[in-house]
Amino acid sequence: MRAPDGPPVTSGDVLLSIDNVSLSFGGVKAISGVSFDIRKGEIRAIIGPNGAGKTSMLNIINGFYHPQQGIITFKGEARSKMRPHDAADGGIARTFQNVALFRGMSALDNIMAGRTLKMKRNMFWQMLRIGPALAEEVEHRHRVEEIIDFLKIQEIRRTPVSRLPYGLQKRVELGRALAMEPELLLLDEPMAGMNIEEKEDMSRFILDVNEHYGTTIALIEHDMGVVMDLSDRVVVLDHGIKIADGTPQEVKSNQAVIDAYLGVAH
Amino acid sequence: MFYRETGQFKTSYAADMQIFPIRQDRIALWVVLAIAFLGIPLLDQLQVWPFGGEYMLRAILIPFLILSLAAIGLNILTGYCGQLSLGSGAFMAIGAYSAYKFGTGVHIPLGLFNLSIPPLPVLPSILLGALMSAFVGILFGIPSLRIKGLYLAVATLAAQFFFDWVFIRVKWFTNYNSSGSVSAPDLNFFGYVVNTPIDRYLLCLVFVSIFALLAKNLVRGNIGRQWMATRDMDIAAELMGIRPLYAKLTAFAISSFIMGVAGALWAFVYLGAWEPLAFSIDRSFQILFMVIIGGLGSILGSFLGAAFILVLPIALDQVPHALGVPISVETVSHLVFIVTGTLICWLLIVEPRGFARLWLTGKEKLRLWPYPY
Repeated sequence: MRAPDGPPVTSGDVLLSIDNVSLSFGGVKAISGVSFDIRKGEIRAIIGPNGAGKTSMLNIINGFYHPQQGIITFKGEARSKMRPHDAADGGIARTFQNVALFRGMSALDNIMAGRTLKMKRNMFWQMLRIGPALAEEVEHRHRVEEIIDFLKIQEIRRTPVSRLPYGLQKRVELGRALAMEPELLLLDEPMAGMNIEEKEDMSRFILDVNEHYGTTIALIEHDMGVVMDLSDRVVVLDHGIKIADGTPQEVKSNQAVIDAYLGVAH
Repeated sequence: MFYRETGQFKTSYAADMQIFPIRQDRIALWVVLAIAFLGIPLLDQLQVWPFGGEYMLRAILIPFLILSLAAIGLNILTGYCGQLSLGSGAFMAIGAYSAYKFGTGVHIPLGLFNLSIPPLPVLPSILLGALMSAFVGILFGIPSLRIKGLYLAVATLAAQFFFDWVFIRVKWFTNYNSSGSVSAPDLNFFGYVVNTPIDRYLLCLVFVSIFALLAKNLVRGNIGRQWMATRDMDIAAELMGIRPLYAKLTAFAISSFIMGVAGALWAFVYLGAWEPLAFSIDRSFQILFMVIIGGLGSILGSFLGAAFILVLPIALDQVPHALGVPISVETVSHLVFIVTGTLICWLLIVEPRGFARLWLTGKEKLRLWPYPY
């Protein structure tokens, strides 16, 4: 439960709903018949043991995988599959489990790349880089600098991201996703491999993004303390099946969840 | 460098986003441009060494400029967008032959009605030729949506062999000239005929300067970031709304356009009269090596790579002669191959990212000098 920062979102408009979605790779069923929804403005955690289908779920939401079955409704529009470009255009951004930054570019350029869809001037203007094209570039630089201030990464903006330590790379990746001004932000293990301080920083950023920009967040995370503290509602997957869905307290005391994590005596 | 950005505060993002944010770098650029545009013509006018005779201009500076332009073209495709291409020679050839056809008049008999375009002036011919090259570039870029890396290189190799064949066998392109060799029309630019070596040099310099600036603007703008994003992590790029189709095909188009201009200049300005052999696979490899050695993903690197690959053998060729060592011409040319090859291997071991990276590393070290960190 997010105690200090605001009321938990217990009801509200549904931003995205997943209805009876199944996905398989050849003979392997990654996800079978999962349904849940994400409400506007909430922090929704997706948890589960390894191989439960969490990342596959995110990949379905932003259109990278196309489920064989089921309906995805995003902002009231139902479709059987998203396309990555439409998902990005519609306001879904994400970060990746293994940092997927553009390694040859500086932190600033990485975040600027997140503004791609917002930049409208065509190639010929960009080639000349005068008047409206320069004005557009400056305007977006402004927005990017706001994000850089927000994430406190001013001193590394010119550094090639391949030279940054892991924690900062994760932060730049969050910045790149934020630059898209998403309505729904998908975070795939934002705290994997971080020490306690970095985790605290990252948690603070996630809460601030949710508060400050009003962004709806869906996150996958293995650190249960973080999940319980941050999220409004939690959905638990195991072997591609939804085994629980509810507030952190409800999920914590659910027998099926305890069995999935700790195993059952035979 | 021995200077730093200390004290040069920027008060606007536009000032911060210049190509050279540091004042001394800008001064250096103006000095280089002044030497290129004023100094060299002046030295040539005065016939001062090394400009006594035409050798320096004809054999070194003009090919250096044109091949730098071709290297910029390939660098956009391979260095910035990450699409390996072995078809540079073909795209240059398309630029050259299309410009030639536009310059001497296009006549396509289509049975009932004939398509005829009267001979165009040189400048529109070159630009239209480059446009044809861009068009073919897009066509041969389509496989890049499915295949990557070495496999794509093989697909572009198909372009190379196909157009080698076309320009030898399809006599229409050479205006049915029996020898297969063609000569360029007069280089008449708005009534001024470019003829002397220094005029030719200045013409190439103008083209290279303009296209280098345009290319630099592209790669530091939105489309450049899309190219680099596609190169570095195509899946993440796609999930951010960058369409691979658009990013890759624009890279192919722009790159082929620039290589088309370079090809037309190579044919019209440098060679004057040429055969299809001028744009063989060897040319493709030469340009690819320039890009790799100069530095993938760097406009400056394109110039450095062209200088290394082109000028070094020529310079080495002069050394024994200058020292008065009595060895035969053949031995010298073999020695040049050996030394150049060794230098390339050594350079790639020391710095696989090429001269551009060496330059950056050097700059960073000098920023901290005399302290180690």
